[in-house]
Amino acid sequence: MSERKIGVYVCHCGGNISDYVDVEKVIDAVKGEEDVVVARTAMFTCSDATQQEIYDDIQQMGLDGLVVASCSPKLHTFTFRGVAKRAGLNPFRYTQVNVREQCSWAHTDDRLGATEKAIRLVRAGVARTRLLAPLEPTVVETVPKTLVIGAGIAGLRAAIGLSDIGLSVVVVEREAAVGGWVKEFGPLFPHEKEGRALIAQLEAEVRRRENIALFTQAEVVKKAGSFGNYVVDIRTHGKSSMTMQMEVGSIIVATGFDSYQPEEGEYGYGIDGVVTLPEYKKMLDEATGPLVYRGRPVKDVAYIYCVGSRQGEAGPHQYCSRFCCSAAVHSALELHGKDPSAHQYHLYRDMRTYGRYELMYQESREKGSLYLKFPESEPPAVQKGSDGRLLVTVRDQLTSQKEMQIPADLVVLVTGMVPRENDDLVKALKLPVGRDGFFNEIHPKLRPVETVVDGVAICGACQFPKTASESVASGLAAVTQSAAMLKQGRAELDPQVATADPELCTDCGTCYTTCPYDAISPMELPGGRRVASIAPATCKGCGGCAPLCPEHAIDLQGYTSAQILAMIDGLAREVV
Amino acid sequence: MTVLQPNLVDEVRADESFNASACMNCGVCTAICPMELEHLPREIFRYVLLGMKEELLQHQETVFSCLLCKMCEVNCPAGVHITENVRSLRHYFDRKVFRI
Repeated sequence: MSERKIGVYVCHCGGNISDYVDVEKVIDAVKGEEDVVVARTAMFTCSDATQQEIYDDIQQMGLDGLVVASCSPKLHTFTFRGVAKRAGLNPFRYTQVNVREQCSWAHTDDRLGATEKAIRLVRAGVARTRLLAPLEPTVVETVPKTLVIGAGIAGLRAAIGLSDIGLSVVVVEREAAVGGWVKEFGPLFPHEKEGRALIAQLEAEVRRRENIALFTQAEVVKKAGSFGNYVVDIRTHGKSSMTMQMEVGSIIVATGFDSYQPEEGEYGYGIDGVVTLPEYKKMLDEATGPLVYRGRPVKDVAYIYCVGSRQGEAGPHQYCSRFCCSAAVHSALELHGKDPSAHQYHLYRDMRTYGRYELMYQESREKGSLYLKFPESEPPAVQKGSDGRLLVTVRDQLTSQKEMQIPADLVVLVTGMVPRENDDLVKALKLPVGRDGFFNEIHPKLRPVETVVDGVAICGACQFPKTASESVASGLAAVTQSAAMLKQGRAELDPQVATADPELCTDCGTCYTTCPYDAISPMELPGGRRVASIAPATCKGCGGCAPLCPEHAIDLQGYTSAQILAMIDGLAREVV
Repeated sequence: MTVLQPNLVDEVRADESFNASACMNCGVCTAICPMELEHLPREIFRYVLLGMKEELLQHQETVFSCLLCKMCEVNCPAGVHITENVRSLRHYFDRKVFRI
């Protein structure tokens, strides 16, 4: 084996590590390891001073391998890759060893054991580093064009945002008209702007822009390629049915939601006068004064909350739909404005008018809305009264659990949002779907619009129930995310991906079907022999294929079988 | 079972200023009452707001037992003028029940 020059740096992390791990002992144990030419401790390895020290060591001693034993690779992988790169060392010849989260913090009761474990972990890191080959990132040229799927309020606003930044946009909408749910709505909270007016304005703007192409009655049926160069098939259904193919750099999914449709008999649904929230909102928006339903004045309205949400054992919708409390209270305010003498009863499980919407809740109480809390185990019952009106029976937990009956002219079932049926799109894009049926982001707070599919972002209510303004905000976040990736014109992808050795491959086909990203396909060699070929830009380096290959032809760069075996040897060796 | 009569609050308000709509049913008033009046004031106010006339009339005793000490009022997080409301209710009873 060729001689290597490896530098090892073990961090105190102030005391986070050194309080439980004897870092000097770790240094002593690895100093004599083969190929280790320098081993030091540092109070904070990530500090500028220590980064400079590592930089100097690389330059002066000509290090060709770097091991940093400190915190989780989540925190500082890019810090130390940067140090290596600046000093002229290939950044993929560096190994991060986690001796904080996975050692000192986990074994605060056992200093001796923690120290021994740290020694083993660092030895494994050295063993891997010894075998690391220099790698270069895969560079892909990106197409400056984004596909937006869904032309609701989030998709339309995202299209305009992308166009503003100078990217071409293709908007694909399944329906004949753009605007989704919001095009039907009158005043929306919190700004009281009319939904229809907002959509009209956005649509006019989208149609005016030369760098936005809008296709209605169209669907995305296929996606191929990889980040920066997706090739998508779009099928139109209108007067002329045809399939177009185009290249886009990134994709924003804004396919929206469906409203929960109560079953016949659920809270009296089906009885004349029992309506869902969207049906009620439509009636309200159309009314110019006091509400009239089927020729009869509406004087008493009862709202039943959480219909189709937080169903527990009773149904598939376990989640709180978030927006509906505020939306129902906002509708109640709309009615208070149109008919101050109307009586409004709100039958709820928990009121969640989050943030500033609390002010609407307060205003509705001041205007006379009454709130009754019913127990989850005993939901209200709706029946037709003898006088032809509706009668809602409810047990009010705020009035000594008394059971009471509310005569009502209209019962509004405050229905939540449910995921829209989009099976074909999910299949075409390989979108990650959560347990609740909505699309999943990578991290709800840290990476809120990105998905595990590179270059595919999600926004609006296809992700989780959102208000119109929240949908627009997430749409713009997706714009920023897409633009940041595409405006550079090129992207560097992680080279730590799988490769298949054509000498060993027998074209057995096991890996073709195993890859969750469709990165592996057969390729014909000049001699006519077929072998597996792995597209580096599509491969995510998950390693799923490597252990399945019966010929051991597949290796994950940076985590080759030889490297992993060497690490196991390092871990298993006696400490002294 | 009580059938709600939504006009009760208007009846009370006809001559009085009764306003408890800011109440968020936290129950501090009931917990803090030195008379340990179980039904005052939060729940009695709810009878009025919801239109539970029968229950309201049953609690005449409670309405007149209140000391008007204002302990509940100064501790009310929603700023409901509780003692004013109790006075209004007494006046309502005077008119409706005692006819004075």
